[in-house]
Amino acid sequence: MTADQAHPPHADDHGHGHGSPFIAHHYDDAQHQFDSGKLGIWLFLAQEVLFFSALFVAYVLYRYHHPEIYSYAHQYLDVKYGAINTAVLIFSSLTAAWAVRCAQLSQRRGLILCLSLTIACACGFLCIKYIEYTHKVHEHILFGRYFDPCVSSGGAELLTKNNNCAGTKSTIVWDYGAGSATAGCITDVDQDPRAAGVQASCTVKEYGVTEGAEPAKPEAKTDAKPAAGGAEPAKPKPLETFKRDITEQCAEESPLHHEGGGEAGAAHHAQKYPCWRPAYQPAVCKKGVGILVEYGDHTEREDIRIKAECKPSPKPADAGDLLADREQTLELGKPQIAPRHQLTVHEEQQLEAMGPPPEHTGMFFTIYFAMTGLHGIHVLFGIGVFTWLLIRATKGHFTPDYFGPIDYAALYWHIVDLIWIFLFPLLYLIH
Amino acid sequence: MSAAADTADHHDHHDDHHGISHVASLKVLLGTGGTLLMLTLVTVAATKVDFGANINLALAMAIAVVKATLVILFFMHLKYDRLFHTVVFVGAILAASLFVGFTLMDSNQYQQTNIWNPDAPPAAPFGPRPTSG
Repeated sequence: MTADQAHPPHADDHGHGHGSPFIAHHYDDAQHQFDSGKLGIWLFLAQEVLFFSALFVAYVLYRYHHPEIYSYAHQYLDVKYGAINTAVLIFSSLTAAWAVRCAQLSQRRGLILCLSLTIACACGFLCIKYIEYTHKVHEHILFGRYFDPCVSSGGAELLTKNNNCAGTKSTIVWDYGAGSATAGCITDVDQDPRAAGVQASCTVKEYGVTEGAEPAKPEAKTDAKPAAGGAEPAKPKPLETFKRDITEQCAEESPLHHEGGGEAGAAHHAQKYPCWRPAYQPAVCKKGVGILVEYGDHTEREDIRIKAECKPSPKPADAGDLLADREQTLELGKPQIAPRHQLTVHEEQQLEAMGPPPEHTGMFFTIYFAMTGLHGIHVLFGIGVFTWLLIRATKGHFTPDYFGPIDYAALYWHIVDLIWIFLFPLLYLIH
Repeated sequence: MSAAADTADHHDHHDDHHGISHVASLKVLLGTGGTLLMLTLVTVAATKVDFGANINLALAMAIAVVKATLVILFFMHLKYDRLFHTVVFVGAILAASLFVGFTLMDSNQYQQTNIWNPDAPPAAPFGPRPTSG
């Protein structure tokens, strides 16, 4: 912005006959200074248009060649937040324009109010963006190859929620009755699990036998031998078995238990929705496929506690807490915990319709984060500028013959609004 | 600051050129803001109706263009501003459209020339494409 090289406010003019002490020496008069600044800001805005146009080129080009990515990925965005943010920005644009009017008419209180409202709206905008970004970070709905919504702290809940993966709504099935637990969860398979015989192991952090209501101490990691000492008598045998056999069955014809649809249904899903990333295919391919935990003769044990890296979904009671990041303790003796996010019928239909993401869906989010991120930085900068103006306004610096900075900042703010006016339909409102 | 009185001679007509720049009337400001908010609702509602992907996109873009025009004309005062500022800004938008348009046109030329794909034979880099037969 211009005009901050103003002279110190010694009240007298410099022979120009204008009133404001902020009219610089080298201008003929207030009008001259204002017009110069205005031309400057318009040139800057033109530059901003060109600056953003590069990102629009990326957007348009990628959308033109890969429309399926856009029509899929936008479903991860919440129109509600986008619309609220649009309204917030439009309102702040209004207050910014109003601030200019107030400055022109020497309405100091109105000016201060308008500037404050503009700042508040800008902060509100960023808060909503923060909510959106946080949500995406937690669900790994990120750029490029970090688009990884199945591997997330939300775990199975997200699998089920996004349902990218197999139309599975019950990614986790803990089936104790059969002496096995299956869970769709995070694994680290680097190969395509469909290649014969790949077995992924899930890191079990903790397991043990629960004595009554008191959980046992964690005994060992997956590949460590269970410590002999410090445990109570009945434990050893089943636990050894258990420890060895934490494997993940990834083959398509997994013999594991399925609920509901049964194997046919699962196979059908697997075919309909081929896995889109081998790394967590086991988690996402089909119903009931996942970690197989064998713990020997479970009838001997009342409770076996397992803590795995696989962060399953929260218990129904906690469902709805999307960002929950907790581990689940498996308890033997309860035939089906089947913890999963309780989806509404509508959600289920929606997710079913979504299907798996097309290839390179992450590119949408690369573009999304680049565009909204750059826009967000502009908002941040705007907050700074308007705060500066607010401080100056409280000091009474702005007069009808010196309100250029307000006008220029407002123009900048309008261009930020303008860009969002295009970003909103382009990113959120894809049909 | 004691300087506010300088422009007192302009005070007789309020919503016109006032002092050194045009003062937007409240009616215009509020009307523009209200219209923009309404159009936001319209564009959200329009997405819910299926006109076909292309028409939906065109509709959303048309609404966005209308909104942008409103912002530019009234919030940014371009309607009352110097013509040269319009020239600068519209020039930038034209340049941006050329950028987008030409890149889009051009990108089709390289669909077959993925240099990282050994299966796709590279096309001749310069000159006319060989005609078949």
